[in-house]
Amino acid sequence: MITKDSLKVLDVSSPAPQYVCLKLDAGKPLQGLLPGMFYELRAPSQKGRLFKPISILEVEESTLSFLIKVVGAGTQAFTQLKAGDRVEAIGPLGNGFPGIAGRRVLLVSGGAGYPPLAWIKRKSDVAGFCLHLHGCASADEAFPCDLLYTDDGSLGSKGLVTDSVDCLIAEHNIDLVFSCGPVPMLAKLTELCMQIEHYVSMEAYMACGIGVCHGCAIPVDKAFKLVCKDGPVFDATQIRWSEL
Amino acid sequence: MKQIESSLGKLKLASCVTVASGTFGLEYLKLKDADGKPLLPQESLGAYVSKTITYEAKAGNPSPRLYETECGLLNSIGLQNPGLKGFLNNDLPILKETLRIPLIVSFSGSSIDEFCEMITTMEPYDEIAGYEVNVSCPNVEKEGIAFGADPEVIYKLVSRLAVLTDKELNVKLSPNVTDIAQMALAAQEAGASSLALINTLWGMAIDWKTGKAMLSKKVGGYSGRGVKPVALALVYKVAQVAKIPILAMGGIHSWQDALEFIYAGASAVAVGTANFTAPGAPAKIAQGLHEYCKANNLYIRDLIAKVK
Repeated sequence: MITKDSLKVLDVSSPAPQYVCLKLDAGKPLQGLLPGMFYELRAPSQKGRLFKPISILEVEESTLSFLIKVVGAGTQAFTQLKAGDRVEAIGPLGNGFPGIAGRRVLLVSGGAGYPPLAWIKRKSDVAGFCLHLHGCASADEAFPCDLLYTDDGSLGSKGLVTDSVDCLIAEHNIDLVFSCGPVPMLAKLTELCMQIEHYVSMEAYMACGIGVCHGCAIPVDKAFKLVCKDGPVFDATQIRWSEL
Repeated sequence: MKQIESSLGKLKLASCVTVASGTFGLEYLKLKDADGKPLLPQESLGAYVSKTITYEAKAGNPSPRLYETECGLLNSIGLQNPGLKGFLNNDLPILKETLRIPLIVSFSGSSIDEFCEMITTMEPYDEIAGYEVNVSCPNVEKEGIAFGADPEVIYKLVSRLAVLTDKELNVKLSPNVTDIAQMALAAQEAGASSLALINTLWGMAIDWKTGKAMLSKKVGGYSGRGVKPVALALVYKVAQVAKIPILAMGGIHSWQDALEFIYAGASAVAVGTANFTAPGAPAKIAQGLHEYCKANNLYIRDLIAKVK
């Protein structure tokens, strides 16, 4: 069931420059939510503007956490919130990543694509083997993971998150890859993982978030599919990367 | 809600508030509020206007298809739709089962013959109460505005369609023409039973840092708050000359906005972009109009085109 609700802000923090972490009280225990699913969120100061599609970072009983990169006015407004404020939320939305029971999974995130994979990693001790690689511009954007890559080498390995994927897949007998991040990273990863089952969570500009406006379509298979309703998680090999 | 009843040509509307094609779907009727109740009870709507279909399925335009500006929304969806057959086979049965309000099907063709074939194919379906002839989509090459910018073409098209249906025949007009009143009169003379205006205005946004257009097609359709004064003026202008009723849309976000359009000459209004920024808006607008009219002993049908 998709609900439009006004959720109480429990906590606002800034774990990294340009990022805000929101904890919201859903008011009731949350069930059936999967990593990759998202909510359309809007701070009260943004009334009249579009909601922003934000991937879930974690669910604990009735608490929803989001880690949001500040990129414009809509996301900037989340940084101004205080505990006790309310956030308009439509959700839960989207399909989420498939289950990983018994699988050996490589999680690859880039920049703001961190949250769904971090959630899978945190759940993985009960589900299966996960190795989480995260890539970002610099130490400023670094979040907890197994292997960190920074463009400037300020923390972790200097280079791209895709640099050692080949070796890591072989070394850890990986049979499933999940990814989320910038399109060039996902396209490169798709090339590198052609022989392995690979799912990506895509980002898109959205107006409705629920499958009405057709604004978030991306080229998938022989058609355009909606990131909000058909995704955001897609089989990586089905996406026509060159058209994005 | 007698106060807000209205009619649109052959259709009686239990509410003068409807939804604009392409901005609404059954998904909005399924949305729940915090208490698990429907956010938008369908009875608050006078009619349901479906997303425009074309004869063949359309994949739509490449992404990005959306960009939000300071006071409105740019889109270049490109009429992505399952085509007439897909609509009749998959969507219409669900609409029939779900809707307890009149269904108006919006459609567009790439030739007059194609428009005619579409309406003939849809005519036997009793669950379709009326048609919106979309001759005004700015985002496709063959369909849409190719038909809506020339009064002679509108006349030819609508006169062919009018003899093929007894249902409500609404023609949706584009603001991207020199004189919309001419288009309205052509549709009226050809046998349209009502008009809808306005479709989106041409619009564009550019990233000044990179010089890159924000939409893949560069230019798209502009809707939302920013277009309201333009829409209001065009509704007024058309209402001055047209005898058939007008379904008005263009930046309606509140019941007060809706009332302005009624005064300008609309018999009914459609909520479009506000569905995205304020899901459930049509219900609130209907409720607001109802309360205002009741408190002041007014009836919407008495206020149509009564601008002073």
